[in-house]
Amino acid sequence: MDDMEDDTTIFSTLKSFKSLISCPDRSLLETEPGFGRSGLQNLYTKRVELEEAAERVRSHTSLLQLTQEKQQMELSHKRARIELEKEANSSSRDLQREIDRNRELLLQIRRLEEREEKANQALNEQMENNKALKRNFEELHKKANEKDSKLAEADQMISELKDETRRLNQQIQIQESKFSTQNLEIQALQEQLDVQRKKFQDVSQRYQNLQTSHSTSTESELKMKELERRLALQEQDSVIVKNMKSEVARLPELEREIKRLREENTFLRETKENNSLLREETEGLRRKLERMERVMEEKLKVELEKEKLEHELQAWENIGQSTGLNIRKPEDLSREVIQIQQRELNLKQQNYTLNSSIRSVEKARTELMPEIAQLRAKAQEEQKKRENQDSLVRRLQKRVLLLTKERDGMRAILESYDSELATSEYSPQLMLRVKEAEDMLQKVQTHNTEMETQLSKAQEEAGSFKLQAQMVTTELEALKEQQVSNAEKNTLATAEEVSSLRQKIEELESERQQLEEQNNILEMRLERHNLQGGYDPVTTKVIHLQMNPTSIAKQQRTEEVEQLRVECQRLRDRLRKIEAGGGMTTDDTTLIIPPSQEILDLRKQMESAELKNQRLKEVFQKKIQEFRTACYVLTGYQIDITVENQYRLTSVYAEHMEDSLLYASLTDFSLTVLGTDLHLFHQKSIPVFLSAVTIELFSRQTVT
Amino acid sequence: MSKTLKGITLKGSAELVAEFFSFGINSILYQRGIYPAETFTRVTQYDMSLQLTTDAKLKNYLTNVISQLKEWLFDCTVQKLVVVITCLETNEVLERWQFDIECDKTAKEGGAPREKSIKAIQEEIRSVIRQITATVTFLPLLETACAFDLLIYTDKDLEVPEQWEESGPQLIDQSEEVRLRSFTTTIHKVNSMVAYKRTNST
Repeated sequence: MDDMEDDTTIFSTLKSFKSLISCPDRSLLETEPGFGRSGLQNLYTKRVELEEAAERVRSHTSLLQLTQEKQQMELSHKRARIELEKEANSSSRDLQREIDRNRELLLQIRRLEEREEKANQALNEQMENNKALKRNFEELHKKANEKDSKLAEADQMISELKDETRRLNQQIQIQESKFSTQNLEIQALQEQLDVQRKKFQDVSQRYQNLQTSHSTSTESELKMKELERRLALQEQDSVIVKNMKSEVARLPELEREIKRLREENTFLRETKENNSLLREETEGLRRKLERMERVMEEKLKVELEKEKLEHELQAWENIGQSTGLNIRKPEDLSREVIQIQQRELNLKQQNYTLNSSIRSVEKARTELMPEIAQLRAKAQEEQKKRENQDSLVRRLQKRVLLLTKERDGMRAILESYDSELATSEYSPQLMLRVKEAEDMLQKVQTHNTEMETQLSKAQEEAGSFKLQAQMVTTELEALKEQQVSNAEKNTLATAEEVSSLRQKIEELESERQQLEEQNNILEMRLERHNLQGGYDPVTTKVIHLQMNPTSIAKQQRTEEVEQLRVECQRLRDRLRKIEAGGGMTTDDTTLIIPPSQEILDLRKQMESAELKNQRLKEVFQKKIQEFRTACYVLTGYQIDITVENQYRLTSVYAEHMEDSLLYASLTDFSLTVLGTDLHLFHQKSIPVFLSAVTIELFSRQTVT
Repeated sequence: MSKTLKGITLKGSAELVAEFFSFGINSILYQRGIYPAETFTRVTQYDMSLQLTTDAKLKNYLTNVISQLKEWLFDCTVQKLVVVITCLETNEVLERWQFDIECDKTAKEGGAPREKSIKAIQEEIRSVIRQITATVTFLPLLETACAFDLLIYTDKDLEVPEQWEESGPQLIDQSEEVRLRSFTTTIHKVNSMVAYKRTNST
């Protein structure tokens, strides 16, 4: 920066220098040329100075440039040094890095060496494992060999087993042949079965015949029973006939009895009249008896009354003694009675008079009561009047006082006016004023009087109201007194009325409760009736459609029932016809009964079975024929079954048709010869014997 | 239709009640097994599924009766409707479903409609039909073949139309009665009850 400042100073000095040069040139030129020489010298000196200055400046500048160059060189040196230092640093760093790398590489080398060792160890182990595996492999190889040997043995076994299987198969074939022979036996047995079935069918047919005969027998039994019943009835009839006969025998006796009864009748009629007479007499006597009895009762009653009356008489006679009066005859009694009655009458009269007096007194009292009331009212009126008058008096006194005061006032006014008159002459005005005052006074007075009259009227009205109130109170009191008096008279009557009313109330209440209960019961019944569907026939009616499901269902039901009855009847008729047909063949019944599906199926099955049977028979016959011809041809003997266990053999070469050997077979097939035309039995063996027989016969045939 | 307007008129009320009877009778026939269940088909009414018969003869009969009943409801001359169930073998009445009808005679045609919502009426009808279905649990079994009949109790002075005839009330001998719910349209009130023959085992 110093360099820059130096440069600027240099430039600035250069500029100033240039400017100086230019200006003074001008100034020098322009200014007075009179300064010619001195001026030129001055100019020259100045130019020299300037050149020196310029040289200085140039040297300065060169100095500066040098210094700058030096500085630049220094700078460049510094830079170079810095760079070198940096390079050195960087190289040192690189060195260090390389050293580190070295170390790391060394470490890696060591690790790799370790790994190598481990790998070697592993290799060794693997080698050992390999050896072990090889040993195992050898062992396994040995085992495999052993197994191969075993396999070879097994193969041998298998071959042996196969031989055995072949043998077994042969056995199976033998068994199968046996089985076929047994099947043939089965077929023979089945043929026997068929024979049995045929027998069974015959038996069943016989059974059906038996049943029909049984039914006929039951019918005959029924007929027998009917005949027996008729017999019994006839016997009963015969018994009845016998009874009738016996009764008929009794007839003559009855006639005799009738005669006797008639005679009795006539006798009884005669006696009837006597009877009636006697009855009348008895009735009369009875009535008399009754009357007598009544008379007796009355007599007893009269005697009792007589005794009572005697007692009473005695009592009456004793009264006199008991009462102490001088009574011996009833006349005295009557006198006494009359006296008592008179006394009574007197007393009653007194009573009545007293009652009348009481009533009059009461009337007077009642009349007096209002008078009293009136008097009281009057007294009260008078009191009020007095009060009014007192009040009037007080008012008047007050008025008087007021008037006197007014008068004094007026007098004072007048005097004042008079005094004033002396001072001034206002007499006409005074007179006017006086008149006005007087008028005012009069007005006030009239007003006062009016007020007083109103007051008095009001007071009078109040007084009259008070009077009325008091009158009313007095009347009330009077009425109350009357009520009390009435109540005293009528307490009994009211009590009786109250009790009677109370009884009526209780009765009515009990009636009401009963009626309520009845009402509830009736309502419940009505409700029940309504729920069940009842109705009032007067107000409602019940209707429904004529063609309703119930009626239709009922019709259908009746129709069904009718149809069923008709069918029943039809079936019964058929049954009767069948029974009447009786011992007809069963074919009819089977025809009549409509064949059902099961029966048709069974018939079809039966037909198919029969067809099978027939076919089997034909086949068996054919086979048997073939077999027999083969036997005849091959063995030379024809074997026939004559009876159950007997076989007849006839030779091919037999001379006569009748020549035959008979054998009977027992259960174990040991044959015994029965009848022979040829009497040779050779070595106890039947086939040998037979063959010998054929040879002989053949030889005979050929010879002859 | 008066049903769509607000309020119930006499004609609308008669139609509502007739409709209820139509479905109610079908329900009773299905529940009691008077007709086989396969002859019924399911329909939706009153927000519930009900059974309606498909048998043509039965349908015809029911429509005849219900249409006549609707006229009488309009005239307010009908008092009761009864469903009578009879055993065909013994000709005995086994059950009686009775519906009492109370008509407000002041509601004449042309009068002001009554304030009651159709929904409320349908709700009531639904509860009645549900109760009819529930009563099946305690009613005795109908083991034999049965047929039913519809009886109508009317005023005495009513003119009986053709094809209708008077009949007895067909009461049950020794019955137990149960009262069921009722519903009202403010013009017609219907009370339901069922009476059944007491079984000897109870």
